[in-house]
Amino acid sequence: MKPGTKLKSAACDTEVMVIRCGDGSIECGGAAMGEAKPEAVGTPSADFAAGTLMGKRYVDAAGTFELLCVKPGKGSLSVDGVALQVKDAKPLPASD
Amino acid sequence: MTQVMKGVRVLEVAQFTYVPAAGAILADWGADVIKIEHPVRGDTQRGFLNMGGVTLDPLRHTLFEHPNRGKRSVGIDLSTPEGQEVLYELAKTADVFLTNYLPQVRQKNRFDVEHIRAVNPDIIYARGSALGDKGPERLVGGFDGTCFWSRSGVAYAMTPEALPGPLMQGIPAFGDSIGGMFIAGGISGALLHRERTGEATEVDVSLLSAAWWASGALISQVMETDIQTRNPMPTSGGSLRNPFMGNFRTSDGGTINLCMVSPTGLIRDTFEHVGVPEAADDPRFKDVLSLIENAGAASDILVKAFAQKPFAYWRAHLKTMKGQWAPVQSFSDLLTDEQALANDMIIEVEGGDGSGKPLRLVRGPVQFDGKPLETTRAPQASEHTETVLMEMGIEWDKIEQWKASGAIA
Repeated sequence: MKPGTKLKSAACDTEVMVIRCGDGSIECGGAAMGEAKPEAVGTPSADFAAGTLMGKRYVDAAGTFELLCVKPGKGSLSVDGVALQVKDAKPLPASD
Repeated sequence: MTQVMKGVRVLEVAQFTYVPAAGAILADWGADVIKIEHPVRGDTQRGFLNMGGVTLDPLRHTLFEHPNRGKRSVGIDLSTPEGQEVLYELAKTADVFLTNYLPQVRQKNRFDVEHIRAVNPDIIYARGSALGDKGPERLVGGFDGTCFWSRSGVAYAMTPEALPGPLMQGIPAFGDSIGGMFIAGGISGALLHRERTGEATEVDVSLLSAAWWASGALISQVMETDIQTRNPMPTSGGSLRNPFMGNFRTSDGGTINLCMVSPTGLIRDTFEHVGVPEAADDPRFKDVLSLIENAGAASDILVKAFAQKPFAYWRAHLKTMKGQWAPVQSFSDLLTDEQALANDMIIEVEGGDGSGKPLRLVRGPVQFDGKPLETTRAPQASEHTETVLMEMGIEWDKIEQWKASGAIA
């Protein structure tokens, strides 16, 4: 998988840009993602239905994979069945 | 809305509200605004947990959205030489460099005017500061609560002497939002000047200068007369010399403000509207000079009249009155103000939470060609790093190399 590639979900509307990747199957809604959109789009499996958010980055614990969501959907992202986590900014806490 | 800044690229290296608000105005006007954020922490504004006792939702963060809608975010660590290299690449493509980092940080991280002009001599370099780019405190930072509100004399003048202490600013980012618009105005002038002469200028606006200007009518009067005036205590009634100037309490505790500085031709109409037409025939109020002479008596009549009916009645009933007046509204009232809404003051963007529930924000004060503003939500931190760099023709290998070194995210 080449970084910069765009992948489409087979289970929902999600599309991601691959920023960083290693060996493994990139999935959304529990189904492998591909460069082409399948003709019949399924539904996310119950374990991977938390949804993706536009503009968020999703990473694995080892930091091997990083996916940038460019179109949100109802499925959530995983690699080889292990859920990816949102890579959020860690801003310094502030309050009025 | 007509995109008067279309084709202008703004490179924003700024945090919090004041200077980002200038970027937001320029983005509203059609500029391509690229916001540089720290690759791990992002803009510290994202870290605001509470505002006025209200907990903020990080995915529907109104305090971040207000000054950052319509922009793209690129994550760069400007403390690294590679990060500075990326910034310079971006600066080469920009018309305006916009920053509120302190001079010593701009020097340390090499993005002060001489560093940016070295790669792009034609760039307009705009600084928003706390207290100004000159003087013994140019290295000191600040917020609108400190510089715009407190140090400036604004809090003092706003607060009646009888209160035990000065009023707080009360509205988050009040001075920031005003000052941000001033910066955007300055940048517009600088762009026009560059267009006409080819000269790139440096632009400075401080939060303190924004307050100087906003208070300029009174500061000038103080300089001229040496008399320092302050807000009076709230009361129901007209001013000492003009009964048609002042706040009047309604039967349910609301307030109607009258502001007829020049009452000629308004005396009869005003008395009729407040339900005391007989006062218009009273010889004490037969013309403006008599009205001024008998201000106290006229004020007493108005106080009694306004206390007969509730706020909602006056808010609707006075719409046909000729003189200048206003209901003293809350922001919740404002949201039901037909006239305010008719001028497209509220804009809708997508929420970052994917719920589909639109996030409502306020447009900038300037409208072009009477058209509503359409824009997008504020970016996620570093949302557009790869997109922007690839757009500039930077190869993926280079992007990966910068990523690996931590220069970008």
